Amino acid sequence: MQPTNDQRLWMYRQMVTSRHLEERIETIYMEGKTPAFNMAKGPIPGEMHLSNGQEPCAVGVCAHLNAEDVVVATHRPHHIAVAKGVDLNAMVAEIFGKATGLSGGRGGHMHIFDPTVNFSCSGIVGESLGPAAGAALSRKMQGKPGVAVAFLGEGAANQGAFHEALNLAAVWNLPVVFVIEDNAWGISVAKQACTAVPRNDVRASGYDMPGVHVADNDVEGVFAAAGEAIARARDGQGPTLIEIETSRLAGHFMGDGEDYRPEGEKEGLQQRDPIPRYRQMLIEAGLLDEAADTELVGEAHERVEAAIRFAQESDFLPPQAALETVFV
Amino acid sequence: MTATTTATSSRKLTIARAMAEATAQEMRQDPSVFVMGEDVGPMGGVFGNTRGLHEEFGGERVRDTPISETAFIGAAVGAASDGMRPIVELMFVDFFGVCMDAIYNMMAKNTYFSGGKVNVPMVLMTSTGGGYSDGGQHSQCLYGTFAHLPGMKVVVPSNAYDAKGLMTAAIRDDNPVVFMYHKSLQGMGWLGTEKGATVATPEESYTVEIGKAAVVKEGRDLTLVSLGAGVHHCLRAAKALGEEGFDVEVVDLRSLVPLDRETVRASVAKTGRLIVVDEDYHSYGVSGEIIASVAEHDHACLKAAPRRVAYPDIPIPFTPTMEQWALPNADKIVDAFHQMMSQ
Amino acid sequence: MSTAITVPEDLWEGDNEGVITAWLVDDGSQVNQGDLVAEVMVEKAQYEIEAPSAGRLTIAKQEDEVVEKGTTIASLDG
Repeated sequence: MQPTNDQRLWMYRQMVTSRHLEERIETIYMEGKTPAFNMAKGPIPGEMHLSNGQEPCAVGVCAHLNAEDVVVATHRPHHIAVAKGVDLNAMVAEIFGKATGLSGGRGGHMHIFDPTVNFSCSGIVGESLGPAAGAALSRKMQGKPGVAVAFLGEGAANQGAFHEALNLAAVWNLPVVFVIEDNAWGISVAKQACTAVPRNDVRASGYDMPGVHVADNDVEGVFAAAGEAIARARDGQGPTLIEIETSRLAGHFMGDGEDYRPEGEKEGLQQRDPIPRYRQMLIEAGLLDEAADTELVGEAHERVEAAIRFAQESDFLPPQAALETVFV
Repeated sequence: MTATTTATSSRKLTIARAMAEATAQEMRQDPSVFVMGEDVGPMGGVFGNTRGLHEEFGGERVRDTPISETAFIGAAVGAASDGMRPIVELMFVDFFGVCMDAIYNMMAKNTYFSGGKVNVPMVLMTSTGGGYSDGGQHSQCLYGTFAHLPGMKVVVPSNAYDAKGLMTAAIRDDNPVVFMYHKSLQGMGWLGTEKGATVATPEESYTVEIGKAAVVKEGRDLTLVSLGAGVHHCLRAAKALGEEGFDVEVVDLRSLVPLDRETVRASVAKTGRLIVVDEDYHSYGVSGEIIASVAEHDHACLKAAPRRVAYPDIPIPFTPTMEQWALPNADKIVDAFHQMMSQ
Repeated sequence: MSTAITVPEDLWEGDNEGVITAWLVDDGSQVNQGDLVAEVMVEKAQYEIEAPSAGRLTIAKQEDEVVEKGTTIASLDG
């Protein structure tokens, strides 16, 4: 399955948007946190899990999804939210904890909920699969269109919830796709040190569903694999498991010393940064030239800058609003 | 040696270092002690409490696990029943949802089910607490949840001296012990550590008896009861109230199970006034249990209705304005006392 | 004789500033050579400062103070 030229440019644009967002968050996050790195300080406090390098997973999958389709993401959700079409202003305002944020600041960066595009995420490893399977079940029971996609990291494939959800989705033939973003590291623990199989897609065979592997963080490889899996789901043929070999160009979270990485690994990953690679591919395919690229990147950056300005200029809710949106 | 008061050694430790030192000392003298958890190996634990252990004891006894809490905590139950003394880490207590069955249905109950024939001598250590905007799945205390379930001891240190002594006691205990440490006391600078938690800690091995509270400040006018980070809020409130002329006693529970009701009752019998400070949720928790323990024993000793300064019954919000507003602090304790005195 | 305790030039990579997050001995106490005396945090990494010799410690930089490589944070007498 090949993307159209429009889809190619859409994927590139989303990747550039997401990366610029992460780079801006990275800078703003560090405000007030030097020289003493105190997580509670600065305009964006708390943990921050950046998605730099993992953009192909988000865009290659979401290129096949509509607003009605359901996505459940992880503690590292920004790239997926961007690609799923989550309201960027409201998402960035949420990351800043502002009144105009998706939940008025109650959720924060690990808890982004935008029901208008059926996007949600959870900060607990392995907890995306059950809700995605349930959304798929709901669509099936209601006879409503739409499929569900759960994103997870490779570390989550060792959680019980992973295996239980795969079995459930298979035995009920649910319209759901499970997408593993394999960035090779669960905080400091390498995949090979904690996973009995080198590739998690082989685990699909235990649940009688197709397992597909995408190598080398390849945007169009993700697009093809996801396209086929989502088409199968839409067609009532049940779930698929996809594992994508991707790269975490940042630490597990901001401030991670990353001492666990082998010498030179990060430099190697940066040289294989998927965004310049895809850009080069589009140029070679004649879809992009310097001028068009500059314009596209400029527009994407301006969209992010506008969202950041929106967030920065927004107020906080009064503290007592903590008691609202839940019964007490 | 058993000690209940702070020793005079000048060497200070953070709680993270105190936990690691206690663990290392027990591992040196008992080959059945080993450690399992996520990032406890070369990284030394996300919160620093296994730092240096992998270097000294190697990967066989300090094991990084997959992100498989049900499996490795269940495995600890099995190993503990078979002659080992595992120490396992649940990185954030908030993650207990994925593995609670191994904890409360097996770790806590197997000894009883076996009529006392099967011991489960393991330690489950887990981080608690918020205040740094980590959102509602990474900031909870859940003290009351664990303490409510019978069959496991629960300890919550407020300083490094107690942390080391309680850790040593927990490892040596033939019962399962849940060791709940508070992130803001841990001595990890990036979590904005409470200075009062880094205290003089002897190098030699010692235990702090599980089930014994400590009166960390004596007074005659009011009893403040708390645990973990709350103890430091209480000490600040006691100082502020002291400047107003009130003599405040502060009780650090240190253990939730067994609970030292006697120390609390003796303090309230003296002061007649009780405020419980708890960062865990307000309802159905530690604060209610402490007040009930006093009231059901002798309500006549109370000169005023007891009060609690606890976390409201809401999920923990991310945004700092809301989170800081909801957390207990010294000002809220002082206000609660003023309200108590005006009634 | 007085010996300065300085932040070692090779304690961390780069020229970032750090912050003393904890003094692990009290001002005025006697320490032995090699004792761990302080923790310094640079970004989110913590580094240890050891006493270069034995002596009575006089703290020059308090907790939460910013330090650089080479900064004298204390002295040892005796």
